[in-house]
Amino acid sequence: MVVAADAYLTAIERELGAEAIELSAEAVARYGDTTMPSGVRRVRAVVLPRSPAEVVAMVRLANEHHVSLYPVSAGHNLGLGTRSPVRDDQIVVDLGRRMNRILELNEELGYAVVEPGVTFQALHDELVRRGDKLMISATSGPPLGSVLGNALDKGAGYSSYFDHFGTLCGFEVVLGNGSTIRTGDGSLHNDQLPNWPVSKYTFGPILDGLFAQSNFGIVVRAAIWLMPRPPVIRTFHAIFERDTDIGSIIDAIRPLKLTNFVPTLFRVTNDLYAVGPEERAENLGRRSDARDISAEERRTLREKHGLGAWQASAAFYAGSEADMAPMLARVNSHFRSKGALRIIDHAQAQLIHPLLIASDAFSGRPSTAELPLLSWRPGGGAIWFLPGTPMSGRTAAELDVLARDLFAQHGFDYIIMHVAGARFARSLYLILFDRRSTDECRRADACYRALTSAYAIRGIGVGRAAIDYHGLHMDLQMPAFQQTVLAIKSALDPNGVIAPGKYGIG
Amino acid sequence: MTSAENGPSPVRDQVLAIAASCNRFGLCISTCPTYVLTQQENESPRGRIELVRRMFEKGGRPDAATVAHIDSCLSCLACTTTCGVPVDYMHLIDRARAHVEANYRRPIGERVVRALVAALIPRPRLFGFTLRTARPLKQFARWMPSRLKPLLDLVPAQHPPPSEPLTPGTYAAQGTRKARVMLLPGCAQQVLAPSINAATVRLLRRAGCEVVVPKRFRCCGALTLHMGRDRQAQQNARALVATLRATEATGAIDAIAINASGCGSTVKDYGHLLGNSPADAVGARRVAQLALDVTELLVRIGLPAAVSNRALSVAYHDACSLRNRQRVTAQPRALLAAAGFAVHNIAETHLCCGSAGTYNMLQPAAARLLGERKAAHIALTDADVVAVGNIGCITQLGRYCDRPVLHTVELLDWATGGPRPACIAHIDSSPLIVRRIEQPPSQEAIW
Repeated sequence: MVVAADAYLTAIERELGAEAIELSAEAVARYGDTTMPSGVRRVRAVVLPRSPAEVVAMVRLANEHHVSLYPVSAGHNLGLGTRSPVRDDQIVVDLGRRMNRILELNEELGYAVVEPGVTFQALHDELVRRGDKLMISATSGPPLGSVLGNALDKGAGYSSYFDHFGTLCGFEVVLGNGSTIRTGDGSLHNDQLPNWPVSKYTFGPILDGLFAQSNFGIVVRAAIWLMPRPPVIRTFHAIFERDTDIGSIIDAIRPLKLTNFVPTLFRVTNDLYAVGPEERAENLGRRSDARDISAEERRTLREKHGLGAWQASAAFYAGSEADMAPMLARVNSHFRSKGALRIIDHAQAQLIHPLLIASDAFSGRPSTAELPLLSWRPGGGAIWFLPGTPMSGRTAAELDVLARDLFAQHGFDYIIMHVAGARFARSLYLILFDRRSTDECRRADACYRALTSAYAIRGIGVGRAAIDYHGLHMDLQMPAFQQTVLAIKSALDPNGVIAPGKYGIG
Repeated sequence: MTSAENGPSPVRDQVLAIAASCNRFGLCISTCPTYVLTQQENESPRGRIELVRRMFEKGGRPDAATVAHIDSCLSCLACTTTCGVPVDYMHLIDRARAHVEANYRRPIGERVVRALVAALIPRPRLFGFTLRTARPLKQFARWMPSRLKPLLDLVPAQHPPPSEPLTPGTYAAQGTRKARVMLLPGCAQQVLAPSINAATVRLLRRAGCEVVVPKRFRCCGALTLHMGRDRQAQQNARALVATLRATEATGAIDAIAINASGCGSTVKDYGHLLGNSPADAVGARRVAQLALDVTELLVRIGLPAAVSNRALSVAYHDACSLRNRQRVTAQPRALLAAAGFAVHNIAETHLCCGSAGTYNMLQPAAARLLGERKAAHIALTDADVVAVGNIGCITQLGRYCDRPVLHTVELLDWATGGPRPACIAHIDSSPLIVRRIEQPPSQEAIW
């Protein structure tokens, strides 16, 4: 492997120049950092393409030299594996460093064509520079995450355009076998492709989905649809007092979303998820051997920030304040009738930092405000567990009891946000632990596996997974599904050069 | 002094604790100007934290490569605005610079330049004399030693526009007195742009402040702290504490008004700079508590009413010391808008312009790249002028920018009845001439 990698890098340097290879040992080592219990990965090298043609050359040479590539875009992917390969000794293809151009920005039709290195912040900044007429769908993750990378990993935002993969249109992909294809209306054998960024449903099978959470090829460009920025955006926040209110909250949100009366998704955060960016567990004056914080400590934090056990936040979009007023009145009345302790309006929320995060999220403004949540506990260990629940209050309540109990059993603070739509809510559980502690790493790993198992028994899988657990989750899929995925892998990447092991494939 | 061989060291412990708090998430690197320029790990905050950790663990004389990476840091603190922990990078890099200064012998050329900068700039009279003497030498710059040439490049080609001299003393408030403030006049600013202090006093008086301009003020310590000369910085800080004490003996002070944000960042951190000295701690905290950027102060006491005929389009540049250290971003924009200016943001607002205290003197190549980059972004705006809250940025941008660069208070002073700043005398500012109209919403838009 080492000899093959050396020969591969020599060939890359010969064909693409020395600037296509990251030579600094310090930099290469950083690509192996993770927040996972399993620790760092050994990265063999990092290559830096600057165009689709260079990606083609890198894949071709990987086939010739039988080395494994691991493409990453611009993001940090904290809690899911950072930029680290799934396996040791893979060669990272960093698409973010030099393929970071906005290739087209069409304000009339509302889309941008981007390379993998275009970040949420960069696209947002360019839109602002052009007059702020369009807005991105922001995540609450790092603003320097990749628009394309997030969408291809099935990431999501909170606005009406929350479905990031759903708002991608028309890919250009370098397959593992070295050939390049265009999807959607780009698949026409023509140089003029006016419908490529605006239409997905052209003749033939829809191939786009093959490149979401897979390792069949490297997506080197795609269009992302953008929403016109509303003149008035107003958030509202329904505060609920008890842990057991989650069922009522889910049932209260469902009709608002089924009718699309509320255009955004709902962020339903528990107390620790909400206050976590503002607080530190070690500042609570607890004994050093204390594990998860007590109910009393949680209550103190809620009172300090004026929040509840749960907060359900969403936003309306309107042309004017006058248009906004009746919608806000109606939703306030609705939540009060469903047991909300109180409703915090947009103006009041500007003074409550945990709720400001929601304001940015619904307004398509990238923000770093939520990132300090990752440091609620020291040591930098983080795993996201990302199952979901049907928008049925009874199911959501049952799952909440289940997960809360498993977190407590393993000694971790219960940190959860449901991102709720009409029929389904994605559940974002965050396991935070100290990477420096062998015991905490062991418990974090055990907690994740216990959660996975408990949900799987109930027929619930995850939307995304951290790199330590790709194989675990693929093994839970039905055998025929696994065989089909492997057959596609063999067809499109016969030598298995693209990220073997990623998403449990190959 | 800080070597491992010399036993326990609170400084070393502090640095290692800060370094240990870094989770290596890497959220900082893409906002770091030197990483953006070089794409090198060791030119990023994350890389530097690791280098500093190793330097203090090893102790003794640092290696040249580590010193170079520490020197190249702008201390702009953009990294701290995106850090997820957060890491106290400011004090880590300050400690690292002090360690380098104490334990590393630089080449003779570097030592000469650093000694000149540290000796001249904090002394306004000496600095002014040096500028007058050096100005004729600019034409011979090409024959100067390469280390000195950047300093000569920074010497303004012309004398600053004439301004009423700002003499120490007490300036009465106009109308009802709302506050009594002590003005920190800065050191380089007094020489490079005396009009800024004059405008500040006029504006504050008009806003209802009694303004005390202290005698014999030299430097707050920011400049020398930036160069790792922390003892000199502490001496400067003690002098300012004494100045405040003397001023308060003549009447209570409600605020220390600071119009050079680089100074503001340091003064607001006096509690830390002098924190190890019990004799100084109380006075240092008092100064830090009273310190306000002039825009913070104006927001508190209220801007005087704007007069008409002041319609200008202004690109507001966030000085790093205001944006990243003091987190003062909304106040200057709000004041400029309230005064009738159309305020524009500049792309990559998080990236330093390359001024960074003494950076453009000591790291001229990187400073030039950053200055040109910022100027290119400014050129993309349709602003008539650029407003800034820091003399360093004004000097730096003035070298690369295609339009006038002036201090925020100069615009606010003019807008509320003060004289028109000389550098914008040629620009039409009549509101009757509608040069740019905000586009109404498109008829096609559903909103």
